[in-house]
Amino acid sequence: TMLNRVTRLVPRARQLDPGHFLHGGPQGPQGLAVHLDDQVPDETPRAGSRPSEDDPVKTFNEACLMVRRPALELLRYLDGTNFAHQAVRYVLYGEKGTGKTLSLCHVIHFCAKRDWLVVHVPDAHQWVKSCRGLLRSAYSRQRFDQPVEASSWLKSFKTANERFLSQIKIQETYMWNKRESTEKGRPLGEVVEQGLTRVKNATDAVGIVLKELKSQSCSGAFRLLVAVDGANALWGRTTLKREDKSLMAPEELALVHSLRKMVRNDWHGGAVVLALSQTGSLFTPRMACLPQELLGKEGFDALDPFVPILVSNYSPKEFESCVQYYLENSWLQHEKAHTEEGKKELLFLSDANPGQLERLCAYL
Amino acid sequence: MQCRTDLGLCVAFPPSPVTRSGTQKAAFVGSSWPAKMAAPAGKLARGWSVLALNLRTAVPRLPGLTQVRWSRYSPEYRDPQTDKEYYRKPLAELTEEEKCEQELRKTQLIKAAPAAKTSSVFEDPVISKFINMMMKGGNKVLARSLMTQTLEAVKRKQFEKYHAASAEEQATIERNPYTIFHQALKNCEPVIGLVPILRGGHFYQVPVPLPARRRRFLAMKWMLTECREKKHRRTLMPEKLSHELLEAFHNQGPVIKKKHDMHKMAEANRALAHYRWW
Repeated sequence: TMLNRVTRLVPRARQLDPGHFLHGGPQGPQGLAVHLDDQVPDETPRAGSRPSEDDPVKTFNEACLMVRRPALELLRYLDGTNFAHQAVRYVLYGEKGTGKTLSLCHVIHFCAKRDWLVVHVPDAHQWVKSCRGLLRSAYSRQRFDQPVEASSWLKSFKTANERFLSQIKIQETYMWNKRESTEKGRPLGEVVEQGLTRVKNATDAVGIVLKELKSQSCSGAFRLLVAVDGANALWGRTTLKREDKSLMAPEELALVHSLRKMVRNDWHGGAVVLALSQTGSLFTPRMACLPQELLGKEGFDALDPFVPILVSNYSPKEFESCVQYYLENSWLQHEKAHTEEGKKELLFLSDANPGQLERLCAYL
Repeated sequence: MQCRTDLGLCVAFPPSPVTRSGTQKAAFVGSSWPAKMAAPAGKLARGWSVLALNLRTAVPRLPGLTQVRWSRYSPEYRDPQTDKEYYRKPLAELTEEEKCEQELRKTQLIKAAPAAKTSSVFEDPVISKFINMMMKGGNKVLARSLMTQTLEAVKRKQFEKYHAASAEEQATIERNPYTIFHQALKNCEPVIGLVPILRGGHFYQVPVPLPARRRRFLAMKWMLTECREKKHRRTLMPEKLSHELLEAFHNQGPVIKKKHDMHKMAEANRALAHYRWW
């Protein structure tokens, strides 16, 4: 999944103010660049499966997204959400490499700009495979803690939502152990600090944070956006083993348990956006891309009334604008790439798939 | 390179330029010069015997030399034409000889094009040759992917330098990985080479002018040897290769040093130059 890249192409790089394209309605890919400016650097998702030297931000010295139809549709829905009703769940699905993760990033950026509180899980697959240091949870004997993943998530959550941490006050007292506790009325930041300093309690801190946010979003003090990439990991299978070397089910992981509770629609005052992904998933066939196939019966029933949004390959106009962006940035250095023949060949080789096109243009 | 394809057989000892150009000779082993001449012999789908071969071409049977390097195609097979532009020319623009040739191709036998040869606009014969040399055990997929990763690595390094540089320097920084590759290999080609020649029971290293393809081969061979053997075991090939290519592009680095060493040896042995008879 191409999480690390918040950059995508688009020519005619014009600065766009956030409200602008919504008035025009979803007229499809207008090929306008949304420059992520300096106010929002930390809220953009940085984790991902790409090696850090491939970071396009470093290569192009800028971060750009292409405005495409699925993202525009989602943004239109989000704008028109009625916060008194229950949270609507949107699921981005599609073939491999079509841009689900980047559409999710676009939505997160949009919501962050409007001061929503964003709970972003960059890749849920990382929580169900190759985890070291699993501990038995102190809170509930059946579940397992993952201190490493939980603490890294808390760190990114802290950098993303600094200002909310001091505003939101917790509504219950939590006892960490005999000596430490956090009283009712303290800011949420203290819970996060506790989780970061005492790594053993990190998973419980995550659970507390999610619970508090869910209960307080109904009050209307802030809008909550839950964004999970690789959501099919929550209902799939894991490759983690218990002490007796038998495989675990995802319910036995405390992080997965709390995230599942978050994604249920029994709260209001925000929205839930999920992106499915086959690339990091375990025990799913390679050609599976539909929600039914990836989520399985259990996941599909858990998410049942949701809005599916298909993310497909580039349309001819999008492809053209993509190639134009690469040419403007001089990323496409091959002299034949400027010709019509070269462009037709790129279209043929990549089949307008954004991921494939990017891999092709990397060495051309 | 017509001699290669139309020849019946080729000689494999250092021949004079006259013999290179098209007389039919046999390919034999037993000399020191690794001749690159292809020796198509035998007929496709029909068994061939040495007698038949002797009848078709006048083969000088030289003592101590055996035949190598033949192909399954007989001499009447023509090479395939993969250039799309050739077929797209409208009928009016063709000259008489081109029309004649096109007519001929309809009836002549044509060899099968190799799998790696495409009619893509992005294809490059030098890069294909390099990929073939990098390939081990027939794993072309791996070799090709290593090459593309190398080109990508070269491009990214150059882009980083570009963004870090000032405006005047930006004009001098070359970002096209293909020009860097070609220029680097050109910089690594030796001008003069050494050949062991037997005189009076001893082999002497005689300085000799190298043909163009031998030079290209040596440049690529040195580059690959350097990357495979002289680097740390845990570094990946794209990383090593991109570093070496960039150094060679700037005329620095171990491969350029090897070229200079070869030149110095040739200069040192220049007294033996008269041992060369071609």
